[in-house]
Amino acid sequence: MSDQWTDRLSEYLDGELPPDRRAELEAHLRHCVACGAVLADLKRIVTRAQGLEDRAPERDLWPGVAARIGAAAPGSRRARPSGAPRRRWSFSLPQLAAAGIALMALSGGAAWLLRPLGRVPLASQPSPAATRWEARQLPGQGDGGVLAVAARPRGERSYDAAVADLERVLEAGRGRLDTATVRVIVRNLATIDSAIAQAQRAVAADSANLYLNSHLAETMRRKLELLRQAATLVSSVS
Amino acid sequence: MLLSLVHLALAALALTQQVDTTVSVQQGQRLVVDAYGGDIDVKTWARNAVRVEADAGSRTHVEVVTSAGAVRVRTEGHRGPPSAVDLRITVPVWMGLDMSGVYTDVTVNGVKGPVNVETVQGEVDVTGGAGLVSLRSVEGAVTLKGAKGRIDVHSVNDDVRVSGSSGEIVAESVNGEIVLERVDATSLEATTVNGDVGYDGPIRSGGRYELSSHNGDVTMAVTEQTSASVTVSTFSGEFESAIPVTLRETRKGKRFSFTLGAGSAQVSLESFQGTVRLVRPGAATTSE
Repeated sequence: MSDQWTDRLSEYLDGELPPDRRAELEAHLRHCVACGAVLADLKRIVTRAQGLEDRAPERDLWPGVAARIGAAAPGSRRARPSGAPRRRWSFSLPQLAAAGIALMALSGGAAWLLRPLGRVPLASQPSPAATRWEARQLPGQGDGGVLAVAARPRGERSYDAAVADLERVLEAGRGRLDTATVRVIVRNLATIDSAIAQAQRAVAADSANLYLNSHLAETMRRKLELLRQAATLVSSVS
Repeated sequence: MLLSLVHLALAALALTQQVDTTVSVQQGQRLVVDAYGGDIDVKTWARNAVRVEADAGSRTHVEVVTSAGAVRVRTEGHRGPPSAVDLRITVPVWMGLDMSGVYTDVTVNGVKGPVNVETVQGEVDVTGGAGLVSLRSVEGAVTLKGAKGRIDVHSVNDDVRVSGSSGEIVAESVNGEIVLERVDATSLEATTVNGDVGYDGPIRSGGRYELSSHNGDVTMAVTEQTSASVTVSTFSGEFESAIPVTLRETRKGKRFSFTLGAGSAQVSLESFQGTVRLVRPGAATTSE
C-alpha cells in the first residue's frame, strides 16, 4: 500500500482524477491488494452514506434531534435549489475513517430515528446529519488515521442523545409491550452494549485502526437500530 | 344429560366464527394481512382467486376487503385486542404478500411474487418469493428457501437461515447465527453480534461479500477456482484456511489481504473475537 495512491482513492471514487492519473491508479490497483481493500472500505462507506434515508421525521422526536445534529426544519430538508450540485463525498483517507463512524453511527442513528413507521424504506439522499458532519484534523497530525478520535466527541454526543431519546420512548412505553418482548429487547441491548464496550476498549488502544473504528460504528448503529425497532413496537401498540 | 351436551356443543359452535371466503383477484393485486396472534399459513393454487379460511372466536372478527390494489385480511377484536386466529390463505403464485402480526408465526409456500413479513413473537418460514423479499422477526427464527431477488432477512433474537436462493442479500441478527447455504449471492451483507456467520455458494465476479460477527466465527466456502480479493479483519480472533493463501500485506490489528485467482470479487470477512475460516464447499454451514 502506498500513501501516494491511497491519498488519491477518494478523488478516484469521485471520478475527479485526470485520465492519465486514473489509468496509473487502476494499474496500481490491479496488483496492490491492500489499496484494493482500502478502496473497498471507502466504497462501502460511500454506499452506506448514499443509502441513508431522508424521510419525514416523527413529530415528537424530530425537534430535539434536529437541534442536536444541527439539521434544518423538516419542511426545508428536501428543498434543494434546481441546478444545485449533488452532494459530494470527497474525503482524505483518515477523514474517511472518521466519516465511517460519523455516517454509520450518527447519521445512521438519525436516519433510523427519522424513519417513519411504514414498512418499505425508500433509499434516498444522505441524512442532514451526514451533510453537516465535519471532519476536523487535530493540529500536527497527519494522515495517520487519528482523525477519528478528533471527530468523535460531537458524533458521540449526538449518538448518546439519540440513544437517550429512543430509550425514553421505550421506557415510557414498555408497559404496553409484552414482558417477554421487553426481556428480549433488554437482553439484546445488553449483548450489543457489551460488544460496544469491547470495541471501544480496542479503539482506545489502537485509534488508527480502520477496522476497529468501523466495527465500533457498525455496532453502535446496531444499537440504534434495535432501539428504534423497539420504539416502533411501542408506537404500534399505542 | 345428552340434551345438555347437545346444547353445549351448539353454544360452542355459536361462539366460533367459521370463515371461508373466496374472492377473485387480478394480476397486480397484493395480499395484505394484518393479524394479532395465531398462525398465518399461505399456500398457492392455480386460480386467480384468494381463499381465506379461519376459525375465529366470538370476540374476534376476520375482515376480508377487496380493493383495486389489494385484498386485505384483518383480524379485529370486538372489545380489545383480537384473540389468536389461525388464518389459512390460498393465493395465486404471482401474488405479492404483505403480512404483519404480533404473536404470529408466518409460513408461506410457493409464491413467486414479492414477500414482506413482520412479526414480533413468531417464526417466519418462507419458501419462494421473488423481487423484494423482506422477512423480519424480533423473537423468532427467520428461514427462507428458494427465493430470488433482493432479499432482506432479519431477526433480533434468533437465527437467520437462507438456502437455495439467489440475488442481493442482506441478513442480520443480534443474538443468532446467520447461515447461508446453496446461496448464489451477487452481493451479500451478513452480520450478527453474537453468533456465527457462514456462506456456502458461488463467489461471483464483481460481487461484494461482507460477512461479520462480533463474538462468533465467520466462515466462507472457497475453491481453488475462486476469484476474489479477500480482506480478513479481527481483533483477537484467529484465521484458518483450507486452501493455501499467500498474504500480500498485513496491517496492524490483524488485518490482512490476499488474492484468490484474479481477484474479481471483493470479500470482507470480519470477526472481532472469533475465528475467520476459509473452508471447502459443504463445510461452511451446519444445517439443523
